[in-house]
Amino acid sequence: MPSVSSLLRLSVVVAGAALALSFPMLAPNPYILSAGVVVASYAVLSTSWNFVGGFTGYISLGHGAYVGLGAYGTGLLIIKAGLPSFAALLLSAALVAALAVPIGIASLRVRGASFVIVSISLVLILLLIFQSWASFTGGSNGLVVPRPFPGLRRPDHHLVFFYLFCALLAVALLSWWVIDRSRFGMGLKAIREDEDKAQSLGTPTFAFKLLAFVASATFTALGGGLYALWFGDLDPVFQFSILTGAYMVLMALLGGVRHLFGPLLGALVVGSALEYFKVEYGSTQLHLVATGLLLAAVVLFMPDGVIPALSDVYNRLFRPRATSIREATAAELRSQEEVRG
Amino acid sequence: MLTFQSVILGVLLGGLYALLAAGLTLYFGVMRVVMIAHSAFLILAAYLAWYFHRETGIDPLVSLVGTVPLFFVLGVAMQRLLISRLRAATLTMMSVLLTFAIALLIEGLLGYVFSGTQRRTQLSYSGTSLDFFGARVAVVKLIAFGLAAAALLGLYVLLKASRFGLALRATIQHREAAQLAGIDTNRVAGYGFGLGLATAAIGGTALALDTTIYPSLHWHWIGPLMAIIVVGGLGSVPGAAIAAMLLGLTQSLLQLPLGTTWAQTVFYVALFATLAFRPQGFFGGRLAQRF
Amino acid sequence: MTRRSVETVGLTKAFGGVVAVDDATVTFQDGKINALIGPNGSGKTTFFNCVTGMIKPDAGRAMYRGQDITGRSPHRIARAGIGRSFQLCRIFPRMTVLDNMLVAVRTTSLRAQLANSHNRSDLDRARGWLRRVGIDHLEGVEARNLSYGQQKLLELAGVLMGDPETIMLDEPAGGVNPALIERIAALVRQLNKEGRTFLIVEHNMDLVMSLSDHVVVFDRGRPIAAGPPPVIRADPRVLEAYLGV
Repeated sequence: MPSVSSLLRLSVVVAGAALALSFPMLAPNPYILSAGVVVASYAVLSTSWNFVGGFTGYISLGHGAYVGLGAYGTGLLIIKAGLPSFAALLLSAALVAALAVPIGIASLRVRGASFVIVSISLVLILLLIFQSWASFTGGSNGLVVPRPFPGLRRPDHHLVFFYLFCALLAVALLSWWVIDRSRFGMGLKAIREDEDKAQSLGTPTFAFKLLAFVASATFTALGGGLYALWFGDLDPVFQFSILTGAYMVLMALLGGVRHLFGPLLGALVVGSALEYFKVEYGSTQLHLVATGLLLAAVVLFMPDGVIPALSDVYNRLFRPRATSIREATAAELRSQEEVRG
Repeated sequence: MLTFQSVILGVLLGGLYALLAAGLTLYFGVMRVVMIAHSAFLILAAYLAWYFHRETGIDPLVSLVGTVPLFFVLGVAMQRLLISRLRAATLTMMSVLLTFAIALLIEGLLGYVFSGTQRRTQLSYSGTSLDFFGARVAVVKLIAFGLAAAALLGLYVLLKASRFGLALRATIQHREAAQLAGIDTNRVAGYGFGLGLATAAIGGTALALDTTIYPSLHWHWIGPLMAIIVVGGLGSVPGAAIAAMLLGLTQSLLQLPLGTTWAQTVFYVALFATLAFRPQGFFGGRLAQRF
Repeated sequence: MTRRSVETVGLTKAFGGVVAVDDATVTFQDGKINALIGPNGSGKTTFFNCVTGMIKPDAGRAMYRGQDITGRSPHRIARAGIGRSFQLCRIFPRMTVLDNMLVAVRTTSLRAQLANSHNRSDLDRARGWLRRVGIDHLEGVEARNLSYGQQKLLELAGVLMGDPETIMLDEPAGGVNPALIERIAALVRQLNKEGRTFLIVEHNMDLVMSLSDHVVVFDRGRPIAAGPPPVIRADPRVLEAYLGV
């Protein structure tokens, strides 16, 4: 039984990866391809968010801050320091990681509410700074980031970056998976359940939270930096946007924060929807309304995301036995599946 | 003289901050909820005041008659129908998301209905100002401050002198103990939410008098307000009021040498300093340690 | 001959105006089953929380085997060898029984932290303790689906997984049926024979008197009597504290 289900799981993963990698061949035009790049970047960001949101249950609404810092860090290191594009990307992510340490120390010492407040404040303060300090950041005029492959035609540029985002996503997913099955991950999940109890069992909760937080910020910065190299034009309003953080949360939550592929799934759904809204409704504020409604619905009705909700439906449809047996037994079955997951 | 002018303006601004931060503290006190949508409701009230004035020509202050009760009922409904549905174990985090979603919803709807255009209420007394010991103070700012001060005073009297106020304070300090003492803490929490949202109605009307409003303006308010309640010690109404005054004053004074934008960073500097050195806040607020 | 386990000197903790632990100087004996009793609200749980680092005392010191542990964070105290349970049984509700056990595995190096949590040796140890407390057949069940008694056993097993030399139990018999109380008592005796020290807060007097070697009585935040059960039972101050005469 476990071998069958893990075989099934593996084949789904392989099929998904194959489909993703062949997407550029299937995309009918460069516009769709560029939308694919955006969705892939969302997948990177929401998976990165899930390092802290999923494992520890600390919800950051301000991860847009690390997107912006990674993007501007990359751009500024190229322009001001003359670094090669990808060296700038890596150094920028390293700098964000270093900055995440004091931020994490300030916001993780106390519980939940302060963390949320700091996370939002950070985006707002960085937006202020990057808009005001125009001599350094370009301010509201924006910052043009030189392309890493100047000789490439536009569709090929999209193609290359689609695969770069996929590669980054693979690294992020792999890291998440390694942590998920590790003792470290077990400690993080215990923090999500009951932080005091975890600490009384000897888990160094503060250090664990900080590590997860720094890892999350670093991957987010890599995603932001890669976006800067791809898009080539940065504006503080879009880089340090509270909405970016909101999208990351919505995607992760919708897919399911307890699952490796939850945020990826959420990014596919929400990211595609956002791109569609951009085309259909353009400058209206309806995408805000839709995002708000969807987020509220997820929080109220399926806080564990669609994956558990779907597997519930699956169990009900294809395993009639589970419904006929006592409630407790159904719960047992479900929990046994989660162990294997 | 310019400094004196700044002090006056800082106090006037601090009054509004204090009222709004008191509202934010109420939600946190009764339910441990960080109500991100507070400032979105503030802007909503400002839009309603502006719209009321544009359509009827009557002074926007009159709109308070409608918005305050409306917002109170909305607040109670929000607590009873939405917040109380969330699981206790994850309440703090999930309520943040829920209120965040409501903030997006309000911003989106305002943008959809009224467009993203900047709006400003034009009143007969918009340009008038008084001479106050050599400082020139706009009348609308004085009215806004008077409104905020009166509302804050009313709130204070309600909390200190009424039976409901006692129940509310007991619920804030120790929910279980309050329940044991026979207080219906759910009902109290609902009313706490209603009161909090009523402060947003009053603040929004005051804001509409002398500020240019646009749908995304609420993000400029929620940051400072959250900083204030952390500095004041989460859950402490007097702490929030003191912190609001001090930070409003500092912001106003810093505007001269630094300019408006950099002056706003004072809130965030204070926030980080508080969390780094004294996470329980500077003015009471014993709740903060656990949150 | 008696070595000292947990001891406190002048330990004090107040909440607002209420002094929960008031200048408490107590010594618990190593290798023994110690009990801490007292009327409701006499500060026993606060004392526990101060010793285990969950709250910081206002004044005084806490020592463990002669080592100062005052103000250390809970995980460091746990790693010094003190395990504890909570008054209202705390487990990780949405983790399986087995995962609840694996949380308590202690490692220090980053490499060991990144190792698979479901590895053979950890699993064997976890299953061993689950078998010992008698809930090994439930290892795949989510902890929230256990009965209260089973949750109490799981909590105890989780504490044991950390291999503590000293175990502090906050009301192990609270809300549990008599048969299970017997099972827990037998387990405590066995574990004590194997060399583990116990420090138990308990309201069930029969259990305390039959189980413990050394009893400390708290009243209004401070110790009023200490000694073996027969001495405590005969002490007029204890009767006074309990009956309020």
